[in-house]
Amino acid sequence: MGFDIQQTLLWIVLLPLLGALINGIAGRHASKAAVNVVAVGSVFVAFLLSVVGFVHLAQAEGGNASIVFDFYEWFSIEVQRVGAPSVEVPVRVRFVMDHLSGIMTVMVTGIASLIHVYSIGYMAEDEGYARFMTYLNLFTASMLVLVLASNVPLMFVGWEGVGLCSYLLIGFWFKNADYAAAGRKAFVVNRIGDFGVLIGMFLLVAVVADERTPDAFEFAQINAVATRIGLTQVQLGGATLGVTVATAASLFLFLGVCGKSAQFPLFVWLPDAMAGPTPVSALIHAATMVTAGVYLLCRLSPVFVESPYAMAFVATVGAFTALLAASIALVQNQMKKILAYSTVSQLGFMVAACGMGAFAGGFFHVFTHAFFKACLFLGAGSVMHAIHSHSDADIRYLGGLRKKLPKTHITFAIATAAIAGFPLTSGFFSKDEILLGALTWATGFPYAPFMGWVVFGALVLAATMTAFYMFRLYFRAFWGEYKGGYADDDPHHHKVEHPHESPDAMTVPLYVLAAGALLVGLLGLPHAWHLPNLWSEWLAPGHEAFLAVLHEQGHGEEAVAAATAAAREVPSAMASLQFQGQMVHGADWIAWVAMGAGSLAFLIGAGLAYVWYVQQDGSAPAGLQRSMPGLHRILMDKWRFDELYGFLIVTPMRWLAYFAANLDRFFVDGLLTRASSAGAKALGFLLTRAQNGVVFAYAGLMVAGLAGLAWWFTYPHPALEGEAGTGEVSWVAGRGLGYEYRWDFDSDGEWDTEWSADPAASHVYVDEDQIYGLVAIVEAPRSMFGAEELVVTAGETVEVPTVNLAADWVRTTITTDGDADEGLFGRTPTAPTLRYDGGRLVVNINSANIVDRDGGDDGRLALRAGETVTFGGGRITVAVLVRGTVEVKNPFGNRSRESRDLTLRVNPGAEGGEPQAQVIR
Amino acid sequence: MEIGLGTYLALASVLFGIGAVGFLTRRNILLQLMSIEVMLNSVNLTLVAFNRWTPGEPGAWNHHGQVFAFFVIAVAAAEAAVGLAILISLYRLKSSVESDSADLLKH
Repeated sequence: MGFDIQQTLLWIVLLPLLGALINGIAGRHASKAAVNVVAVGSVFVAFLLSVVGFVHLAQAEGGNASIVFDFYEWFSIEVQRVGAPSVEVPVRVRFVMDHLSGIMTVMVTGIASLIHVYSIGYMAEDEGYARFMTYLNLFTASMLVLVLASNVPLMFVGWEGVGLCSYLLIGFWFKNADYAAAGRKAFVVNRIGDFGVLIGMFLLVAVVADERTPDAFEFAQINAVATRIGLTQVQLGGATLGVTVATAASLFLFLGVCGKSAQFPLFVWLPDAMAGPTPVSALIHAATMVTAGVYLLCRLSPVFVESPYAMAFVATVGAFTALLAASIALVQNQMKKILAYSTVSQLGFMVAACGMGAFAGGFFHVFTHAFFKACLFLGAGSVMHAIHSHSDADIRYLGGLRKKLPKTHITFAIATAAIAGFPLTSGFFSKDEILLGALTWATGFPYAPFMGWVVFGALVLAATMTAFYMFRLYFRAFWGEYKGGYADDDPHHHKVEHPHESPDAMTVPLYVLAAGALLVGLLGLPHAWHLPNLWSEWLAPGHEAFLAVLHEQGHGEEAVAAATAAAREVPSAMASLQFQGQMVHGADWIAWVAMGAGSLAFLIGAGLAYVWYVQQDGSAPAGLQRSMPGLHRILMDKWRFDELYGFLIVTPMRWLAYFAANLDRFFVDGLLTRASSAGAKALGFLLTRAQNGVVFAYAGLMVAGLAGLAWWFTYPHPALEGEAGTGEVSWVAGRGLGYEYRWDFDSDGEWDTEWSADPAASHVYVDEDQIYGLVAIVEAPRSMFGAEELVVTAGETVEVPTVNLAADWVRTTITTDGDADEGLFGRTPTAPTLRYDGGRLVVNINSANIVDRDGGDDGRLALRAGETVTFGGGRITVAVLVRGTVEVKNPFGNRSRESRDLTLRVNPGAEGGEPQAQVIR
Repeated sequence: MEIGLGTYLALASVLFGIGAVGFLTRRNILLQLMSIEVMLNSVNLTLVAFNRWTPGEPGAWNHHGQVFAFFVIAVAAAEAAVGLAILISLYRLKSSVESDSADLLKH
């Protein structure tokens, strides 16, 4: 049996799932060591398998190699289309590891392994140890489904799965009501985003699904026809909205991105999510789950690229979020709070990069951020472990930890330098790519270049703030004098005199992550240096072709267009608008400006933090705080977004819930329940009156009933039914003992058959005089009720009551050949009338000029049965009405008679052929 | 007067009417049971009479009506046994054989 590379994908997903299953069922009764082996082992083996798959990809030829594992077809849906047959769209359970998901898979399993190891030390004393490990494993499995899914619905399964695990882990210490509330908040806010993902998915499928591309849920299929999505307009009820499907779907999907990746306005859940244990904050709310939104942006990047509006929106929201969250982080004092807002801010960087078309750069930041932010959170966890804190650590009461926790300190310092953008660390390189993307937009894109400058400015400012608040956190926590960990008057905690360094299980992951934070940036060396950029070649290999064309044809606009087209030919994991802006302009200055701005941001932010908190001991910021109390308070209160949402959404919802609850209590439970029970009681009272205990009354009722039955059997009951078949009508009367039947098929008073015992008869209605009347089947345009049948009998005139029909008729006379009929124009339309005249149905429509088949010009149209007249969107079809009569007699000699009418749609017959009646003006 | 099917049916109707009136007007359960027997016998009479006048085709005679009459007699015997047992129970309970005294299930 050979080793099948495809199978690895299945086991990457299944192993953590099995781990969760085993620990979930048996973990409570198993020893801690056994739980560890299952939890850490399953994730670590998944990591090894991911590396195997990744190496396989790296060795493969071609631009975007992939490993595909087709598990099974889950179900399929039928997509209805207007004016075309419906399409069967399958939803597969299929995993794909390509260049994009390959990186993500290795990153998720790798960091998850480290954090599982860390949790062994961090959660050692917790009573819910096995439960915690179960959730972590379940999270890892869900995240891997999300990443490896080949289609949107399967990705959505993972998307919801990680949301569930996030909820479970934020509220892990659910006995604390605040923590449980934080979990609920995260879940509810994410639901808003999930709604967007669903709408976006259905929009895409509605456009993509057709005969040639029935696999419309697959990412590959959607991306392949992205151009078509960008050209299709959204239609609502027949009206075109002037918005392409690409724009609409991108914006709805971006709502999901905002929820999952904590972007404005849905970012409020992430800071509260720090209520969960610190490893959770590191794994889910910093390194992996929150980057799912950015991953979705990259995955469907060809669709996003089709809509400049959506892209500009995404970039703006990302930059705004980066700035907003960084400003909040400036003044916070809780370690994990600062890191949480820092995460929101960094996610803003990634989203902004995607919005500017620098998908590779944004995803690079996802990668580097996973290392240094996980390291920072775990470092914070190590500090909290040292001072025996469960919830958070206040940097005002820390200090001097440099000497107390040397291992934590060195790793924390490296990660801080990386996130702040210290040159040659990973954060420096990835942030540089993003700033370069903004500059490329500002100088190279045809749409809204000024927005590029705005976004660039916002990102540089946010980067400066990042450097400042991160070094503020670092200096205040690790430098200076140790202050005991808690305030003097803290009622819940005692000062910890001798904080101790964490066990190896916690420090080893810190070392690994710090090494990553330091080194992984080398994968994407800046373009200005003209060194190989492995990252871009891996994810966006098109730029090689781009440069080749450019080198050949110079740097004119035509050359750029040709080069872009050539680049698009190269298969790559995602789209890219960013083919090295400085090359487009034939100069490196943009890249140097971006790098200079990034370095300057680091120098200003970190330098200010050093001067204020190391040299001056914090008096300058305290003075600032005193001089601007209003600004400081609003920053401390996180711009009061929670209060705003509470006022706008939560409070009205509470009122609605209060109203609904009382409606239920008083109307449903009170009034309706009592009314129905009282009704049943009253009915019961009435019926029990019959149970009067007098046998004479019972017997009397019985005898009366018997008499009634006897009377019913004395007379026959015809119960006539008719059914129109091809060419004839089948009549059936009711059966009975000794019944005999005779028929008058045309109801002319003369019996057509003799008495017979057969209750069924059929008759062919040929002659005109067998017809009882005509039926006009009027189909009005836009009628809600479908066709309407009007019976017209001899000599009778019937008005068609469908007003729409008359109005449309008038419009038709005026516009048919552009020659306005003065006589009719402006006249109030009257309803058409129908009259039965000698076997014909005479249609008189609004006294209009009608030329009938005979060339007559008498304003009337005589229609035979089976003919149709069409006008103004309306249609009148003439059908035939027949009436059959049956007489039944029983052995007593009693007789009964019954008639029934039947409408028959008929062909026009030999005389006319196709109906030629036409309204011409 | 010729004696035909109609005569028997008329007699059966009269018997049925006598039974029904007796059942409705008497309060003594014993008498009511006897009235029921009269009604059942009137039905037996119609069954036998119908069978006699429509016995089927030559070679394929049937006696369905007469067989039915025997069934009715058997059921009537069973019914009388059950009815009299109930009567005795009622008498023990209420010291009465009036049907109106059995009113424990009334509203």
